Amino acid sequence: MNTSSLQAGIRRALQRYLLGCWPPVAVVLLALAFFGSTGILAQQPKPSEYQVKATYLYNFGRFVKWPGTVPTGKGDSFSVCVLGQDPFGPILDSTLAGEALDGKPVVLRRISKPQDAGDCRILFISSAEEKHLKEILAALDESGVLTVSDMPGFARRGGMIQFVLEGDRVRFEINLASAENARLVLSSELLKVASSVKRSGRSGD
Amino acid sequence: MSMRQDNSISRKLTWMNMLVCGAALLLACTAFIAYDRVTFRESKVLNLSTQAQIIGSNSVSALLFNDPQSAENTLSALKAAHNVLSAGIYTPDGRLFASYSRDPGGQILALPSIPSGQAEIHWLKNDEIDLVRSIVFQGKPTGTVYIRSDVEELNGRLRRYAGIAGIVLSACLMAALFVSSIFRKSLADPIVRLAEVAKVVSRDKNYSVRATPTRDPAELAILIDAFNEMLAQIQQNEKALRKAHDGLEQRVLERTAELEAAKKEVEEFSRSILRAKEEVERGSKFKDQFLSTMSHELRTPLNAVLGFSDLLADERYGPLNGKQQRYVSHIHTGGKHLLSLISDILDLSKIEAGRMELAIESLRVTNTLGEVISVMQPLAEKKSQVLTKQVESDLLVRADSTRFRQVLLNLVGNAIKFTPNGGRIELAARMVQGKVRVEVRDNGPGIPPEEQQRIFEAFYRLRETGKKTEGTGLGLAITHRLVELHGGELSLESQVGQGSCFYFSLPVAVNVSEAPSSKVEPTQKQTRRPRVLVIEDDRAAAHLIQSQLTSAGYEVMICLESQNALEAAAQFQPGAITVDIVMKPKNGWEILSQLKRDPRTQQIPIVVVSIVDQPGMGALLGADEYLVKPVEKDTLLAAIARRINNRSAAAPIRTILVIEDDAATREFIAEMLVAQGYNVATAADGAQARAQVAATLPELVILDLVLPEASGFELLGEWRANPRTADLPIFVLTSKDLTQEEQRYLRAHAESLFHKQQPWHEALLKQLARVVSRDAAVKV
Repeated sequence: MNTSSLQAGIRRALQRYLLGCWPPVAVVLLALAFFGSTGILAQQPKPSEYQVKATYLYNFGRFVKWPGTVPTGKGDSFSVCVLGQDPFGPILDSTLAGEALDGKPVVLRRISKPQDAGDCRILFISSAEEKHLKEILAALDESGVLTVSDMPGFARRGGMIQFVLEGDRVRFEINLASAENARLVLSSELLKVASSVKRSGRSGD
Repeated sequence: MSMRQDNSISRKLTWMNMLVCGAALLLACTAFIAYDRVTFRESKVLNLSTQAQIIGSNSVSALLFNDPQSAENTLSALKAAHNVLSAGIYTPDGRLFASYSRDPGGQILALPSIPSGQAEIHWLKNDEIDLVRSIVFQGKPTGTVYIRSDVEELNGRLRRYAGIAGIVLSACLMAALFVSSIFRKSLADPIVRLAEVAKVVSRDKNYSVRATPTRDPAELAILIDAFNEMLAQIQQNEKALRKAHDGLEQRVLERTAELEAAKKEVEEFSRSILRAKEEVERGSKFKDQFLSTMSHELRTPLNAVLGFSDLLADERYGPLNGKQQRYVSHIHTGGKHLLSLISDILDLSKIEAGRMELAIESLRVTNTLGEVISVMQPLAEKKSQVLTKQVESDLLVRADSTRFRQVLLNLVGNAIKFTPNGGRIELAARMVQGKVRVEVRDNGPGIPPEEQQRIFEAFYRLRETGKKTEGTGLGLAITHRLVELHGGELSLESQVGQGSCFYFSLPVAVNVSEAPSSKVEPTQKQTRRPRVLVIEDDRAAAHLIQSQLTSAGYEVMICLESQNALEAAAQFQPGAITVDIVMKPKNGWEILSQLKRDPRTQQIPIVVVSIVDQPGMGALLGADEYLVKPVEKDTLLAAIARRINNRSAAAPIRTILVIEDDAATREFIAEMLVAQGYNVATAADGAQARAQVAATLPELVILDLVLPEASGFELLGEWRANPRTADLPIFVLTSKDLTQEEQRYLRAHAESLFHKQQPWHEALLKQLARVVSRDAAVKV
């Protein structure tokens, strides 16, 4: 998209609406529009893989419904937990800072043992925990925790959402059966944009 | 229906219906379509907004999880909406995320910013509706949807509406036409019929037709009834009018015939009047000619009679015995009476014929009265009567001087005649009511009342019963008419035994023009006194001589510069010159010899008046007299008088030329002049006179005006035009009745004018003596 043509278009549109009223006002608004537009267009840093993943992690929370009976742990907060070695670093902190999900403030917790994940709503499982995946998933079974990881074969092995890379793009696969087992309802919107969805049991790809 | 109904009321009604109907429908359709357009657009926008909302909410996950494919799938659902041209989904940072275009190669839309606080904006441009809606998910802006739709559907709708409106409109118009045709029958048709009737009435003047009555619209019924009633009335009136008209025509015809006849009569009459007038004019002309001829022909022989009897009475040609003297006296008296009778008759005829012309001027009354008294005084004295006048000296009157005098002479003459010896006659003039009242009063026997009325009639004579009275009996009649001609009336107051008073009033004059009071009065030319040139360089001496000469009646000119003496003498042409001897720069001797050498001055007698006692030298140089200073006044005057008289005696004796065609008169005048010692030549006609004057310049000319060959007027004109004869004194003696024009001319060009009608002998001789005295006169 051409920046200058966009600016010209904006300017023309504004002229059409405002020139009729009061020229000075029109001029001021034109100037604002100009600087404002250049300000918006100036911020275009390419987001890193984990930045995207951090955002997705948060967005998953917006398309999932947790069962009403789920014990909410400390009650007033929405816990996002990272199990094992943290690949995000401070990015996740900053992404989630001040956000709210399901009407509650989001709290980030880093845990090392699956037993600690009882009150987590979303649990990111580090790739480093691949060996212990079976135990971890078993521990969480039917506990209403949305499990997310970027380890290969995660969804196939019973995980719910697995990040996959298609070139530069970060996408994700969904194991709907696992989610349903945990009585989580994933929005059709989320399913729509997933790269693949596993539906019945562990039938695989 | 006829062609005239293009503009008829029925056509107008139809049009009105159609127009009202059409206009209402058109307005309704337009309003409806406009409303529909607005509402349609609103619904369209709402529709678009809904679509944008659906697309937005279906694209949230695609946006959040960066799946453009999914978003485009969502957008492709817009294929079902044919009106959507293109659409786009944008990320919150303005990047195009997914797009849709109905037509391949459709343009990608540029995203406008949505003003903060608004979820959606839309606008219409080039038959396209653009709508931009932000996508909000769970309270967070997630992206933007942009949809562009065409309004082809709206245009199609409008076309459809137009079609429907057209159909409805034409249907309505048809209906209106139908309705109006129904109305026309009841409303327009009666009016049209009424108009046709009115047309017939106005075109054919046929007032017997009637409009068909109608009942439907009440007003029209009234109108038609009134119209019919009016027609009936007009018809009735017209009938009456025609009847009157027919009668009138008859009368006019009769009257025209009468007038025609009268006109013919008048024309006949006017022709006869014209003939009579011509006859009268001819008669009047003959009368004028006759009068003119008679005045000349009658007077000429009478002049001879009177003149010769006068000469005989003078006993110049031998003594007369007593009888002869008496007879001559009878001849003279009879002639004079005859002459005055002729004059009176001619005057009266002239007045009666309206040929009497008055030369009205301003006159000083006292002068005229004085003249009259001086003329009548001798007559009055003969009868020992006292003749007086009483008049203010500055009283002026407007009158013809000759006629005014004639009136007075007549009245005074009558008074003298009828008043006994020793009576008293008074002439008086005074202002009465802004007019000058002139009275002639005597203390004679008076006139009885029964005669007072008749006294002014012609040929009436007082006391006819025996007593001998002189006069023609015309005097008072003429006087009466003359006063009338002056604008006054001659009246009489008299009582028997007390005396009579004749009086009349004349208009007062404002100022007097000092015209000559008498025609025989000499002009200035003839009053010239003998002139003397005094050549003297001493001023005191010169003035002494001048005062001495002036006292004796000479006209004196002084020349103080001796060098100018010759020119002064030549120019001044004096009767005599006095010259001093001792003068500078030229002395008297030189001047004397110069004057005697110069042909212009050698005739002039020169008197030397000097202290130098050399008479011999003077005589030698041509001086006529030589006086040694101091000179006594008497000596000087005697010398001058001697020289002036001597000179005339010495000058060649010139003659008086009498030009007169009547032999007797000519001879009489010549005799009269010769008797007075004048040298006389005669000429019998104009040609002779002309030749004689050309041969030798006469001293003076006595000229008759009526002459064969060349008239007196012609001669006068010729001579006055010629420098040689320009100064020739000319006396005009005529019996011709002169017009005012002629009188003026003669006064300007002749020295004197004498009328043979009046006593002229003595006046002529007197005037002659005055003019000729300087030169030829007084050899006696």
